[in-house]
Amino acid sequence: MGFFTDLWESATPWSSAEAEAVSGGTGTDSTPAQGGEAGEGEAADKNASTSDNKDGDDDAEEPEEEEEEEELEDPQEKFQEECKESKQCSGPKHHFDECVERVTGASESEDKKGPSEDCVEEFFHLAHCANECAAPKLWAALK
Amino acid sequence: MLARSSCLRAAGAVRNGAVTVSKRAASTSTTEAAASPFRLNLAGGAATAVAIGSAAWYYHLYGPTAHAMTPAEEGLHPTKYPWVHSEYLKTFDHQALRRGFQVYREVCSSCHSLSRIPYRSLVGVTHTVDEAKAMAEENEYDSEPNDQGDIEKRPGKLSDYLPSPYTNDEAARAANNGALPPDLSLIVKARHGGCDYIFSLLTGYPEEPPAGAVVQEGLNFNPYFPGTGIAMARVLYNELVEYEDGTPATTSQMAKDVTEFLNWAAEPEMDQRKKMGMKVIIIGSALFALSVWVKRYKWSPIKTRKIAYNPPQMGGKH
Repeated sequence: MGFFTDLWESATPWSSAEAEAVSGGTGTDSTPAQGGEAGEGEAADKNASTSDNKDGDDDAEEPEEEEEEEELEDPQEKFQEECKESKQCSGPKHHFDECVERVTGASESEDKKGPSEDCVEEFFHLAHCANECAAPKLWAALK
Repeated sequence: MLARSSCLRAAGAVRNGAVTVSKRAASTSTTEAAASPFRLNLAGGAATAVAIGSAAWYYHLYGPTAHAMTPAEEGLHPTKYPWVHSEYLKTFDHQALRRGFQVYREVCSSCHSLSRIPYRSLVGVTHTVDEAKAMAEENEYDSEPNDQGDIEKRPGKLSDYLPSPYTNDEAARAANNGALPPDLSLIVKARHGGCDYIFSLLTGYPEEPPAGAVVQEGLNFNPYFPGTGIAMARVLYNELVEYEDGTPATTSQMAKDVTEFLNWAAEPEMDQRKKMGMKVIIIGSALFALSVWVKRYKWSPIKTRKIAYNPPQMGGKH
């Protein structure tokens, strides 16, 4: 079954490489793309700072506040925002914006006559459209 | 012989003549009955209208499905993502599994147990033997009773299961405002949408709930959770963990990795199963082809024989 062992080995290149990477500290230099952004010293700094953060606050609710370095952007948010603005999702976006305007307007006005409304359904349609549009791009961007 | 056949032919001609005559007679007799094609058309049209109308009425009554729940109660259906391990010829991405275990260990394990996974099952999947042993030894487990009958603690071994954050469900509920964080061992199989659902749930927390949505005290808005009110707050934020292989730890990257890891936890046999399935298909199809050949070989004398029937000579010559 040489064919299967080849398949297996091609799918598991970590078997030898990872063991060394773990004992030798960070493996940042193994990926060239990442090595370019964060140098050796910075990586060590980041290690120290994040471990401090973890000790300091368990929740890690706002890690953005403690980070001095440049912010890591989540590709999912980027693609979803792009997709929401795209022509493909203009319909759901239009409905959602309109609903938000109506509902916030109704809640701010004094006399609440109509039934209380929410924009969950419109939000669903917009999120569905944006996710459908962003899913293949996201998977291409993630490792 | 000749005379007989010509006689038959003559009889046939006579019969044909009779048929044509009767046909002509019939056509002439019906002209009076179908004098008004308008009425026939009317009847046909009415019957068609009734048929279509009753079908439409039936569809109106029973056709559309009635939804007892609002979309918010159903929850937003997760988007389908092209998971690499869901392809027929692909294994789990074991680098992702290793990262996902790191995410589970550093983030999820503070509330969620993974009680069906022992350390030994990580060996050869995400970690080496030594790494798994080292991780196991970080925890304490009950040992055998000693001579006094006291149960002492010992460092963990490979055969020990991952420690649970709470001793029992009641303790877990008490610590989490009444909400039980489910065990994650089989969570991918236990939820509709599987991996897509888990990933969407982890990354789907919006900045703020949409206008007008009511979020109960102590709950958080998540569109993918049925009812949209989930007790778990958003936990994954960018750079929450530091990946040892240098992968940028974005929210979606961590969610993807931990989801793949949880899928492995739910079906650790998948790689082996796919390999076995491949073997079964290859060997099975070879054996099937062989059996077809053997059948044809064995049947060939029977299939190719010729049965000849030579009737005895009747009477004299023609």
